Amino acid sequence: MQETDINLLVGGPQGGGIDSAANMVSMAFSLAGYNIYGIREYHSNIKGRHSYIHFRIMHKRPRSLKYPVDIMVALDPDTLFEHMFDVSSNAKIIYDTSFDKFELKNARMITSDTMESIRNELKSRNLTLDVHGILDYFRSVGAVPIAMPFDKLINDYVPEGPATRYYNTLGAGTTLAILGLDIEHANEGIKYAFRKKPSVVDSNLRVIKAAYDYVDKSEIKPEQLKFYPVIPRILLTGNDAVAIGKLMGGLRFQTYYPITPASDESTLLENHEDIKFLENETKNLKKGGLVVVQCEDELSAVNMANGGALTGARSATATSGPGFSLMAEGISFAGMTEIPLVVTLYQRGGPSTGLPTRNGQSDLLFALNTGHGEFPKMVISSGDMEECVYDAMKSLNYAQKYQMPVIHMIDKTLANTMDLVPEIDVKRVRIEKYRDNNNHENYKRYDLNTDDGVSPYGVFGKDVFWMTGDEHNELGHVTEDTSLRDKMMEKRMRKLITADREIPMEDRAILYGNENADITYITWGSQKSLLLDAIDELKKDGISANLLYLRMFAPFPSEYVGEVLKKSNLIIDVESNMTAQAAKIIRMNTGIEVKSSILKYNGRHMTIDEVIKSTKRIMGKELEMVVLENGS
Amino acid sequence: MEKSVERYNYRSNITIDWCPGCGNFGIVSAVTQALTDMKMDPKDVVAVSGIGCSGKTPHYLNIAGAHTLHGRSIPYAVGVKLANPNLNVLVMGGDGDLLSIGAGHLVAEGRRNSGIVVLLYNNAVYGLTKGQAAPTMPLNEKVKSIPRPNILDKINPVALAMTSGYSFVARGFSSEIKQLSMLIERAMKHKGSAIIEILQPCPTYNDVNTLDWFRKRVYKLEDDKTWNPVVNDKSEEEEKFNKGYNLSLKWGDKIPIGIFYENNTVPSFPERLSKIVPDYIKYPPSDQDVSDKDGYTIVDPIKTFIEKEIE
Ligand SMILES: Cc1ncc(C[n+]2csc(CCOP(=O)(O)OP(=O)(O)O)c2C)c(N)n1
Ligand code: SF4
Ligand SMILES: [Mg+2]
Repeated sequence: MQETDINLLVGGPQGGGIDSAANMVSMAFSLAGYNIYGIREYHSNIKGRHSYIHFRIMHKRPRSLKYPVDIMVALDPDTLFEHMFDVSSNAKIIYDTSFDKFELKNARMITSDTMESIRNELKSRNLTLDVHGILDYFRSVGAVPIAMPFDKLINDYVPEGPATRYYNTLGAGTTLAILGLDIEHANEGIKYAFRKKPSVVDSNLRVIKAAYDYVDKSEIKPEQLKFYPVIPRILLTGNDAVAIGKLMGGLRFQTYYPITPASDESTLLENHEDIKFLENETKNLKKGGLVVVQCEDELSAVNMANGGALTGARSATATSGPGFSLMAEGISFAGMTEIPLVVTLYQRGGPSTGLPTRNGQSDLLFALNTGHGEFPKMVISSGDMEECVYDAMKSLNYAQKYQMPVIHMIDKTLANTMDLVPEIDVKRVRIEKYRDNNNHENYKRYDLNTDDGVSPYGVFGKDVFWMTGDEHNELGHVTEDTSLRDKMMEKRMRKLITADREIPMEDRAILYGNENADITYITWGSQKSLLLDAIDELKKDGISANLLYLRMFAPFPSEYVGEVLKKSNLIIDVESNMTAQAAKIIRMNTGIEVKSSILKYNGRHMTIDEVIKSTKRIMGKELEMVVLENGS
Repeated sequence: MEKSVERYNYRSNITIDWCPGCGNFGIVSAVTQALTDMKMDPKDVVAVSGIGCSGKTPHYLNIAGAHTLHGRSIPYAVGVKLANPNLNVLVMGGDGDLLSIGAGHLVAEGRRNSGIVVLLYNNAVYGLTKGQAAPTMPLNEKVKSIPRPNILDKINPVALAMTSGYSFVARGFSSEIKQLSMLIERAMKHKGSAIIEILQPCPTYNDVNTLDWFRKRVYKLEDDKTWNPVVNDKSEEEEKFNKGYNLSLKWGDKIPIGIFYENNTVPSFPERLSKIVPDYIKYPPSDQDVSDKDGYTIVDPIKTFIEKEIE
């Protein structure tokens, strides 16, 4: 039997229970020993507009999504149109019989531009501009539409209704039944998805029964599914992973102002201010809780976090582009006054409000250059769940150790990726503290007598000292003395040299794959795992590729990157922005110009097939730069 | 250990570079007086300022001092206070700093009620940037540093503070040092957030609101023995708020100074947090162990985030 590799898409109106459907399906499969990887896409709108989740289900842990999908559940007619190009040639498409009379022109939630391309495709095939037309289209490409009388089925099993409330469960249940998962696992999935609303569990279980009974009596032949032993895992999104990492890394003071896609991290933390501790060896320690403050704006958030750090508390904030713009002055202050501050920067499509709920990697150069004046800061980036957890811990460490702002970058795709993570290793990262001050009598906050640029860190409550964003002397009082100014500038900047020397290369840049490959990809952030999968795919076609994966942009691992690239053949930069920002940074630091690029800035995550296709076009010298366009 | 008061010298040895006759000198005297009266350990009190002439104050005091960004003194102060609620935190900000660029924070702090003390230096001008009109300067006022009469109207700091929810609201005058130090002491002892508008002559730029101008107008609220602005029971809240608020609207020939309103029935933010965050006061964020003896985390990620786990 072939390895199970199911790609599933559940689409419907935002607020229509897509999340519960997703939880249900992923829980059911994970209980059967499978792994799940999913990405959620949604509009900047709470109810109504189209949103969807794409899942990949495998026994081996998947690390990217595959298109086209094998099974699609349409909880509204819009889904059928919106994803017409996303289904494979033998995909099963589950939809409600009541969509039958639906016309394309009534799909109000589809944007006019998307509508245009759907219309053109249907017209070119002489198909009608309605559900019949789209179903014909599916049949013509070999897909199998499965009509189900949603209302009637639900009313039969849950007469108290309203039926619409159960569409998501019916869709999920039918999917599970068709995929050959037994009903017990499906029921467990329900209990998980509604664990916080026990009163609705029973009715949803009946809907699951309706789905299974229906598939049983129908012509549909369910797949055969293997079952595997279940190991404990934790289902995380990028937001969750950073939150967990921060807390493990000693975060005790977090500030935020709500913004997508960053606030899920803070609200999760807000929900867990009551920290649970490991039992061993922690008996006599001072254990308290986490404080999360929802601020009046991002100016407050960044500066309040700075304030918290002045007491010795490990402090951080989290935001996205617009909020990050407001934080610039506070970051400059943290650089000048040597405050250990962590800012988790969740990138979305910019500029301005841009694409508030969509992906983007266009804030890299901004992060690197945020804040006026010249001051040391670190910029790091994560590309998968484990990195989110451990990099969050490390970013707090770096901030403490080097007393400077650390910007930890995550992109929206990663923030909203769902991944079953096998274990969290509490001993992977050691917690590093700031250099303690033990001279309380004559304390100099900015002691210049330091080789590595780091002065002992005093804290309010234990020491009397001063600090100011003006240039200052060792005591923290204002000065404009020319030689002191030079010394202080040099001391602050020296910390970056220290960090550059001390931080191991695997935390900064990694070359995945064989050194001598035909192609060297460069990327950062969420494209990491996608490119690793693409490399495996290319191997099947006899093309060898490796990946230079970047994790730290300041201080930049110039020497290492330069060495790798000098040995490379065709170098292709892959980023979710328009101006190939990482490639610019490489050129700035190494002098090496990366000429070929695969770029995407339509706000949607990249897919493997479009990357592979573009790679081949670049190899064939057809194009130097390819702009990816997939996505709904 | 018993600490003698003599040990504490609350004035630093930094040369003060305010103009002669500046009201800020009186403010520094009042702050030091209050700290002396309270026998405050300099380690237990933090002065947080923004940018302006006012912003320099922390350097002149021998207590922990953060001279921060223009407008952001309140967020810094709240960060310090909430990360270590056992500290006394004083904000020292100009009227431009707190009522213009930082006005959002000033308003937000009312409902937060973190327990900080805000000293709002009202000189009706932007001192440090050479005398432009501050948000406290009335419409049509013409001081010597501005080219034409003020085209903007003023904010009433006391009324704004009351409607923002500050649980202690007062006004002082930089030359009434004894009263001002009493107000600061009362504010520091108050559990929630306190704000004191301090009338402060700026002889360099403001030739209207001079020392004499204020002297002629101010009168002390506590001189009226029947004046009792303190709410200790919810039932008194409405009446005392209304009285204080109505009084805050009085300005002109007679300017009241003293306590307008003190409400002890509003829980402070630390008190609210204590109900959610375990051992918040005993082990606040500033005073926790975050690693075990080998340097590893002490947080159990699975137990903490239990509902996310899948077994
Ligand atoms: C973001 C920012 N904008 C502008 C300034 C310039 N600036 C410095 S002090 C000041 C006004 C000070 O007035 P006020 O707050 O009333 O303080 P005062 O000097 O009167 O005590 C301004 C606008 C600055 N430092 N930062
Ligand atoms: S300019 Fe005004 S406020 Fe500033 S120091 Fe001089 S007198 Fe004082
Ligand atoms: Mg002023």
